[in-house]
Amino acid sequence: MTAAPCTTDASTVTDACSATDACTATYIFAVCRGGDPAALEGLAGHAEGAHVRLLPVGSFTAVVQDVPADRFSEEAVRERLSDGAELERCARTHHAVVCAAARCAPTVPLPLATLYLGDERARTALARREQRLHAALDRIEGRAEWSVKAYAVPGRPDAPGPAGRTGGTSAPAAPAAPSSAGSGAGRAYLERVRSRKQARDHRQETALRAAERVDTALRDLAVAARRLRLHGPGPDGDRRTQVLNAAYLVAEGRESELAAAVGRLRQQAEADGVRIEVSGPWVPYSFVDGGDTDDLDD
Amino acid sequence: MTSMTETVPWEGAWEEGGPLGVPLVDLLDRVLGTGVVVSGDLVIAIAEVPLVRVSLHALLSSVNERVPAPWADGGPL
Repeated sequence: MTAAPCTTDASTVTDACSATDACTATYIFAVCRGGDPAALEGLAGHAEGAHVRLLPVGSFTAVVQDVPADRFSEEAVRERLSDGAELERCARTHHAVVCAAARCAPTVPLPLATLYLGDERARTALARREQRLHAALDRIEGRAEWSVKAYAVPGRPDAPGPAGRTGGTSAPAAPAAPSSAGSGAGRAYLERVRSRKQARDHRQETALRAAERVDTALRDLAVAARRLRLHGPGPDGDRRTQVLNAAYLVAEGRESELAAAVGRLRQQAEADGVRIEVSGPWVPYSFVDGGDTDDLDD
Repeated sequence: MTSMTETVPWEGAWEEGGPLGVPLVDLLDRVLGTGVVVSGDLVIAIAEVPLVRVSLHALLSSVNERVPAPWADGGPL
């Protein structure tokens, strides 16, 4: 068998490039409806591209940038986004333009690195999704996204197990009697292991229940809610276990209600060893897809 | 009394278009996996768990261990 030629999107980009004089791709940040997005023209956008410009598509305005296709081929993008600093730069640049757009008009953000081989293709793709874009804009207009995360605070390694709670079994944490050093010490060790595991399980259950309470309470304030993938432990010594990573779509003007609710929930959660973190308001990234959103309205 | 603003480190930055204070992990949760998926001529499958996780680790360790935070105010991490 001969080695198959590697046909990828990247090569498609390259082919298209050689066919035209300008090797540029159209990078779409966001799609706006109404408002006055003229102020967006001339924003810097990604460093290797031209200035941000507006592309009218039917009743929408897409916020786009011409970028060099070779810097945004599939391979190039994959490589760049695997580099931490570069990933951060791209994400923050994308977000800056999306935020600027959202200040001018109701805005649907598109995911990082949504690229087309030219304006016509971009127009066609967006026009095909006109209904969905309208639905998304209807959903998010006048609303903002809030991120709420909850973490189980790690128990101290020497924290006593829940011996009192479990009753029944004795908790021989005391040193074994000298006469039975062998088997006594072994059993004490097993008991300690078991009691530590029980304590850990108990903390985890308590934290998960606390997270559910937080989620339930905040859904009452939200128009829609979404659970995002939980983060694993970071490499930076953050040993906390994330038990909730959620996004809530909240009507503008209800921020103080949200703040008050979070304040109350925090006090309660603190007692369960759970810390709540909030960030926002976000452009409603998590609510423009329509796919996984649990709509609480109807 | 704990106020919500304590955990909204970038409040106020909204108006200045200063997304530098945005918690990076939250940002990546949003720009990578969500949004209206419009199939482009080139759409990168970057929302897949492994790549994001690897990237995040690379990122967080570089911010915390090797290089100073690239933003002026010390950053949110």
